[in-house]
Amino acid sequence: MRKYLSVFRISFAQEFAYKINFILWRVRNVLQIFLVFYLWDTVFQDPERVVFGYDRAKILTYVFAILVVKALVLSARAVDVPGEISRGEVSNYLLKPIGYFKYWLTRDLSSKALNLSFAVFEFLLLYILLRPPIFVQTNPILIVAFIISILLALLIFFTLLFTTGLVPFWVPEGAWGLQFMVIFVATEFLAGGLFPLDILPESIQRVLFYTPFPYLIFFPIQVYLGKLSSPEILRGMVVALFWATFLYLLMRNLWQRGLRVYQSQGR
Amino acid sequence: MQRAVLVDHLLKDFEVTQKEPGLAGSVKSLFSPKKKQVHALRGISFSVMPGELVGFIGPNGAGKTTTLKILSGLLYPTSGLSQVLGYEPWERKPDYLKKIALVMGQKNQLWWDLPAIETFELNRAIYEIPKKQYKETLDELASLLEVEKLLKTQVRRLSLGQRMRLEFIAALLHKPEILFLDEPTIGLDILGQEKVRDFVYDYNRKYGATILLTSHNMDDLINLSRRVIVITEGRIIFDGALDELVSRFAKRKTITVYLNKEIDLKEMESIGKVRKVQFPQVVLSVPRTTAAVAAAEILQNFPVGDLTIEEESIEEIIGKVFKGETVSKSKTR
Repeated sequence: MRKYLSVFRISFAQEFAYKINFILWRVRNVLQIFLVFYLWDTVFQDPERVVFGYDRAKILTYVFAILVVKALVLSARAVDVPGEISRGEVSNYLLKPIGYFKYWLTRDLSSKALNLSFAVFEFLLLYILLRPPIFVQTNPILIVAFIISILLALLIFFTLLFTTGLVPFWVPEGAWGLQFMVIFVATEFLAGGLFPLDILPESIQRVLFYTPFPYLIFFPIQVYLGKLSSPEILRGMVVALFWATFLYLLMRNLWQRGLRVYQSQGR
Repeated sequence: MQRAVLVDHLLKDFEVTQKEPGLAGSVKSLFSPKKKQVHALRGISFSVMPGELVGFIGPNGAGKTTTLKILSGLLYPTSGLSQVLGYEPWERKPDYLKKIALVMGQKNQLWWDLPAIETFELNRAIYEIPKKQYKETLDELASLLEVEKLLKTQVRRLSLGQRMRLEFIAALLHKPEILFLDEPTIGLDILGQEKVRDFVYDYNRKYGATILLTSHNMDDLINLSRRVIVITEGRIIFDGALDELVSRFAKRKTITVYLNKEIDLKEMESIGKVRKVQFPQVVLSVPRTTAAVAAAEILQNFPVGDLTIEEESIEEIIGKVFKGETVSKSKTR
C-alpha cells in the first residue's frame, strides 16, 4: 500500500512539472462549459419551459455536473500506456515488484484528485459568474446511488482505456488511434459529455444503453438529477457492473498475452 | 555451490514484420504483412556461479541483450530452461525482482521532469527498502559515483554521463544480488567510462554480486571480466577465460621488422600481409603456424636490423569476434 502512496505522490509532482499544460487543459474545459451553458441557456430562456424532460434548472445543473463528473471520470494518466508499450518502456515496471495495473490506477487517481480540486474551484467561479439555478439533490439514497455509479464509471473508463492501450503489443504503430477514438469521440458524444443523451431518438438510446459509454457520464448525472426510477437505476448499475467486469477480465487476458509477445523493443 | 544462473538449451524466436521502403511498401504491408521468424537464440547453455563477473561479447544482433532480457524476466523464452537464483525469471515473482537489477545503457528509468532523488524515493517504496538502509546505500553509492551534488537537479538538465551514474543508483538501491548490465558505458566519454567501470568492479568485489555484462567496449571486457561468453547468431561459440579466448582465436602473429635500408615491398608481400609501413619499420601479419618460417625467411632475404614476433592484441581479437570473423566458416548470410 505504501508503494502506491509514493506513486501517487510522485505522479502529483510530475503533473506540476507541466503546470502550463495542465492549466491550459483546464481552461479548455471551462470554455467548453461556457459554450454549452449559453447554448442551453438560450434554449431554456423561459423558466417554465420543459424540453426532453429537462427544465432550466436541471439542464443547467447537467452542464455544471459535466464539469465535475468529467474531471472525476475522464481525467487519466493511463493514456501514456500505449506509448510506453510501443517504445518498450514497460520494461522499467516489469523489472520491479509493482503491479502495472495498480500503478496506473494510482496515477489516474492522483490525476483525478488534482483535476477535481481544480474543477471544484472552477465550479465556484462559474457559479459566481453565471449564477445558474442549480438543482441540489437531497435524497440520501440517490446520493449514495450517484457515488456508486461514479465508482462504476471510474472502473469502466480505466479498463476501457487500458484495454485499448494494450493494442501496441501487436501493432506497435497503433499506439494512438484506438485510444483517440475511445477517449475523444466515444466519450464526448456517446457518454453525454456535450449534451444529455435522452434528447436522442429512442431507438438510438436503446442501443446506446447496452454499450459501456453512457455509464461514464450520462448515467451518473441522471441518477443525481433524480430522473431515473429505482428499477432503472438498478438495471443501469447491473449493465455498468457487467461492463466493468467484462473489460477488467479482457484487460487482464490481453495483458498476459501481450507479455508473451512483448519484445522489449528499442534494444 | 548453488549456481546463480543456469541456462540450458534456451531458445527465443521473434516474429518481425517486414516492410519494403516507401509509400508503396507501406500500403503493401498494410494488406499483406510479410512476417519473418527471427531466431534470436538457437539453444544456448551456460551457468554462472555466485559472485562471478561474466562478459558477453559478439556482433550486433547476436543475442546478447535478448539473453539478459530473458534472465531478467522481460521476455518469455520460446523453449529451454532459464533459472536465476532458483527462480523462473518470466514468472516475475516479487521476491525475485527484489534480488535483481537490469541497467540498459540506452534506456532510462529516472523521471525526466523531476530530480533523481524523487525516483530514488519511489524505488525505496516499491522495493520496500527500510529507511535506514536506504539512506546508507544512497550515501554510499552517491559518493562512490561522485554525484552527491546532482541528486536534486532535474534529470533533463543532466549530461548523459551524470544521468548514467544516477541510473546506476536507481537500479542498485535495493542491493540486488544479480546485476545485468547491457552496454553500461555506451555513449560515455573516457572519464565517464572509467568511473562506471571502476564502480562495477568495486560493486562486484564489495558485495559479492553476480554480474552479467554485455559490451561493445573492449576496455570494459579487458578490465572487468575474467570470463567471457562469445555469442554469434544466437549460439555460444566460446565460454571461458579471456586469455584462453586469445590463444584460441589468435590465428595470426604479428612480425615487426626494422630494416637497415629500403627494399622493394612487393618481395615482402609474398611472405605475409603487410599491415603497416613506416620506414624503417614494417609490420607484417602471418599465419600463426608458419610464423617461425616466415621470420627465418625475412632474416635471410632482407637487410634486417631487428625483428620481433608478437601475438595479436586482445583488442584485435575481440574486434574480430565482434565482426563475426573468427566464427565458423559455414556461416550463412
